[in-house]
Amino acid sequence: MRYTFATFIFWILSPLTVLAAAESGHHALPLDAQRLHEIFPITNSMIMVWVAVGLIVLFCRAATRKMALVPAGFQNFAEWVIESLYDFLEGLMGAHLTKRTFWFFGSVFFFILVSNYLGLIPGVGTVGWDTLDAHGHKGFLPWLRGANADINMTAAMSFSFAILWLYWALTENNLRGFLAHIFAPKGNFEGVMLMLMIPVFLFVGVLEVISIAIRPVALTFRLYGNIYGGEQTLESLMNLIPTSLQKFLSWLPALPFYFMELLVGFVQALVFTLLCAIFLKLICDHGEEEHH
Amino acid sequence: MTTFLAVAAENPGVLETISKTFGLNWPFFIAQVVNFIVVIIILKKFAFGPVQAILIERKTRIAAGEAKLKQIEKQLADSEANTAAAIAKANEEAVRLVNEARHGAAVFTEQKSQEAIAQAQQILTKAEAAAKADRERLHTELKREFGRLVAQTTSQVTGKILTADDQVRINEDALAKVEA
Repeated sequence: MRYTFATFIFWILSPLTVLAAAESGHHALPLDAQRLHEIFPITNSMIMVWVAVGLIVLFCRAATRKMALVPAGFQNFAEWVIESLYDFLEGLMGAHLTKRTFWFFGSVFFFILVSNYLGLIPGVGTVGWDTLDAHGHKGFLPWLRGANADINMTAAMSFSFAILWLYWALTENNLRGFLAHIFAPKGNFEGVMLMLMIPVFLFVGVLEVISIAIRPVALTFRLYGNIYGGEQTLESLMNLIPTSLQKFLSWLPALPFYFMELLVGFVQALVFTLLCAIFLKLICDHGEEEHH
Repeated sequence: MTTFLAVAAENPGVLETISKTFGLNWPFFIAQVVNFIVVIIILKKFAFGPVQAILIERKTRIAAGEAKLKQIEKQLADSEANTAAAIAKANEEAVRLVNEARHGAAVFTEQKSQEAIAQAQQILTKAEAAAKADRERLHTELKREFGRLVAQTTSQVTGKILTADDQVRINEDALAKVEA
C-alpha cells in the first residue's frame, strides 16, 4: 500500500518532469556520473548519496529521539525493519558474525535501498543542462543521478567490503586458518590419497583466489548494471511515444516498469547484502568445529 | 580493482577502456569510498547504534524476565506444596482438637450431671429432714394442744381444778388412746 501511494505520487509529478526534460532536450542518461565541480571531485551521483544518507539519518533520528522499552510509532517501525534484517542475517551467518558485522550489512542494505528508490523519483537523471563539447557534440548533464547508477559508488562499496571481508576472515580464522581454508584439502584423506589431493586442492585454492578477486568486480557491475539499466529502460520507454504526443504521454509506456523498478530496487539491495553475507560466511564457516 | 589491474597488465588498454566507458576513475572512486565510509559511520552512530542498543536491552530484559518467571513458578510450586502441607497439618490438628473437645464436653457433661444429681439428692435429703422436723414439731404442738384441750375439757366436765400431775397423767392417757 505504501509503495502504491508513493508510485502514485511519483506519477502525478512525472508528466511535469517529462515536460521539463523535453524542454531541456536531453536524449539518454549517460553511462558515467558527471562532475559538478571543477576542483573537488563531486559528481551528480554524490549529491544523491548525501540526500540518501540525510534521509536515513533523519528517519533514524525521528525514530530514536524518544527511545522507550515499549516502542511506538517511528521507533516501532525502525525496530521492526532493523530487527527483521538482523534476524535474516543471523539465520544466514550465525549469531556471532551477525553481531560483529551487522553495522556494515545493515548500512549497506538500507543505503542501497534508499538510493535505488531515490533514483526513481521523477527528475533524477532526467532534468539537467544541455552541454556542448569541444567537438560541437550535444550532450546532457543531469543535475541528479541515482547513487547506484554510478560505477564509482558501487565499486566503492564492493571494494570496501572486499577489504573488510579480508580483515574479518583473518581475525576469525587467523592467517594459518585463512590459508588452510582456501588451500588445504577438505575431507579425511590419509597417506597416498592425501599426497594426491594436495596438488588438486592447491589448484582449487588458486581458483578460489581468482574467484575471491572477481567477487568485488561482479558485485560492482551487478548493482551498477541493474540500476543503470533500469533507469535507462524507463527513459527509453518514455521516448517510445511519438514526438507530437511525447510532452503529454511519454510517461505511459514506462508506468508498468516503474513497479518492476521498485521491486528491482529492493531485490538488488537484498542481493548485494546477501552475497556479501554469504561470501563472509563461506570464509568464516568452520563446519563441524562450530558445533563443538 | 585488483582484477582490473591484473587484466590490464595482460591487455593494456582494457582497463582504460572500461574506465572510460563507465566513468570509473580514481578521484571519483576515492571520493565515493570516503563517502561510503562516512555513510557507514553516520548510520552506525545514528541509526543502528541506538536501535540495536534498545533491542539488546529489551532482549536482556526479556531473558531476565523469563528467568524471574521460572524462579517465581518454582517459588509458587514450593509455596503451593508448603500450603498443602500446612493445610493437611492444620486439618489433622483441627480433627484432634474437635475430638478432644467432644471428649472434654462429654466428660464435662457427665461431671455436671453427677454434680446436679448429687446436689438434687442433697436438696431432697435436706427437704426430707426439714419436713420431718416440721412434722415432729407439729406433732409435738398438736400433742400439747390436744393435752391442753383434754385437760380443759376434763376440768370443765368434772368441775375440778386439775393439778399439774393430773394434767400430765390425763394427757398421757389421752395420747396413748389416740395413738393406739
